[in-house]
Amino acid sequence: MSRQPMLSKKTSIAYKTEEKTVLRGYDLSELAEAGYSFCDAMFVLFQGRIPTEAEEKMLAYEMGSFLEHSMSPSAASAIAVTAGRPNLPTAIAAGVMTFGGVHGPGAAHGYMMNKYIERAHREGKTLDEMAKILVDEYMDAGMPVMGMGQPQHRDGDPRAEPIHLKQEELGTNGAYHEFQRAVEKHFHARRKREGKSYVGVNVVGAGNAALSDLGFAPNAAWCIGSVSRAYSCAVHAIFSMKKGRAWAASKSEPMVQMLDLSMIKYVGPEDREVPTQEERQQYAEAQKKSGEYKKWVI
Amino acid sequence: MDKKRVIGNLDNAGLPYEYDKRAYGTVPLDGSRAPFQWVSEVAYKNAHRIVTRGYDTTELMEQGYGVTDVMFVNFQARIPTVAEDQMLNYILILSLEDGLSMPAAMSRMTARSKTFLTQACGASILAFGHAYGAYSAFGNMLLETLEKAESEGKGMEAAATALVARKLGDPALGVSDLMLKDPAAKRIFARAEKLGVAGKYIAFTKEIVKAAQRASSIPIDLDLLGATGAAIMDLGFTPEATWAIIAVTRSFGAGAHYIEEVEREGHTRLGETLTPKELYDGPDDRPVPPLADRDKVAKPAKTHTPDEWKAAFEKRKQLHGSGFAVVEEIHDPSKKTGIKTLGKKI
Repeated sequence: MSRQPMLSKKTSIAYKTEEKTVLRGYDLSELAEAGYSFCDAMFVLFQGRIPTEAEEKMLAYEMGSFLEHSMSPSAASAIAVTAGRPNLPTAIAAGVMTFGGVHGPGAAHGYMMNKYIERAHREGKTLDEMAKILVDEYMDAGMPVMGMGQPQHRDGDPRAEPIHLKQEELGTNGAYHEFQRAVEKHFHARRKREGKSYVGVNVVGAGNAALSDLGFAPNAAWCIGSVSRAYSCAVHAIFSMKKGRAWAASKSEPMVQMLDLSMIKYVGPEDREVPTQEERQQYAEAQKKSGEYKKWVI
Repeated sequence: MDKKRVIGNLDNAGLPYEYDKRAYGTVPLDGSRAPFQWVSEVAYKNAHRIVTRGYDTTELMEQGYGVTDVMFVNFQARIPTVAEDQMLNYILILSLEDGLSMPAAMSRMTARSKTFLTQACGASILAFGHAYGAYSAFGNMLLETLEKAESEGKGMEAAATALVARKLGDPALGVSDLMLKDPAAKRIFARAEKLGVAGKYIAFTKEIVKAAQRASSIPIDLDLLGATGAAIMDLGFTPEATWAIIAVTRSFGAGAHYIEEVEREGHTRLGETLTPKELYDGPDDRPVPPLADRDKVAKPAKTHTPDEWKAAFEKRKQLHGSGFAVVEEIHDPSKKTGIKTLGKKI
């Protein structure tokens, strides 16, 4: 039995011997024995340091807030994957992988904040002044301001403002919190001036500002947010596997199933005959020439 | 669409219905049953609340609960005791990182393709199968063995001895030679006992360890799978929940490996990676026959008798990568699942 790793390379994250597993210099078993929490260990993992008590509390609050969000793309994907009854990890992996540019775009929001705060530093502007520049630049370009708006929570994400308040209560609020608050202020003001409806801060805006003030880089913050959600994706997937009907299309279930044939609404090209091989070349050339197909190309 | 013409074999009398008379068009909405909804026992949300198992998640946080408490709520629909929460934290710390093992390797390989971090984290979760991180197999083994022992009036020691007689060497046994020098696994049981959260799964796993040590010709002991698996099940988590929790927890570590891989190694392009011939042990290099000679070279795969089939099967097993040397048990659980009453109540 070879105990050598499949990849052989330098790493500054962890090593493992027959005697112990060491994360950033700390023996994991001793970290647990000393009474540190899982959230403490997250600071060690991504930042190589033990956090303050307030920082640990803030992270526990955030991860707990992120963990469950009922029917969102991540949970829906995990549930859909279970329809074929694969191994459970595939459904959880699918849930995590839904986190992209729109669903929980934590890294993108973090990079945006870093870019503009760096600009404030370079141009000698205050965080408030730079926040207004960000809002104006995004809105002038017709781009959504990251961290604002959530399609299901039209009046504002119920988790978002409490995260801001908790940061202030625990005293973990720093430059990112101030900058994010300023972005929200200028965003609301501009939308009001333009006669547009209210769009609240979302959990990426509030949560990512808090994670950034805790010292997590954009990708580390994204990892924390999206992987925390994976726990609840697992619960949704297990519920679906244990209590839902495989294939999700059964006619004998009392409720119409997710993949029932009647769920299909087709809006594509009209029904048409398959050309014979003898007809093929002429048919294909005419079809290509007409160009009608192009409106369906995706 | 009413023109009668025959396409291929689609007029064959053996077909279950007349293919040229099949209707086009989608199926109308089914009004005889309750309409489709995302049915969940786990959580719901509206514009102003997110509720899991009856508890508003923001109120949970404001009351001072943390991420590990929410895991109990989410998976078990209950608030844990302080000791249970402490024990889960302990287990998660030990599960967070494992050096350059397979989840980290999968995350790093995914990172090299220039992907999102979330793809790498997802890929790392796929590393948890029935050998590496075999928590489902381990947990269900404990459940089934204990259930059988109870129904037969058999004690834990006898049940463990019988189990070990069948399973010694199985990667999901929880006992191996992996942690002979590392005290972390045994410390988990000690901590669970100290916190007063050790239950029948830890007790039974201890019996398995003793039975396995008696039966084994080499030194073996409790390993991390057995220790974390039994301890987390004594906290009330099912084998499936255990599997998920440990895999997801490791995914945070895999995220750090993704970041480090990108920082230190960059990306790999299609076609960039070479496989030296020294690593190849397949058929010798040979000329590609002209297409015109195909009939002279090609031999059909079909066989006609069980003996022919067996001979061909054994020959095919010799080609690594053909798949004939692998036999998996893939269960069809479709007849065991389904919510038979839910729609009627809606």
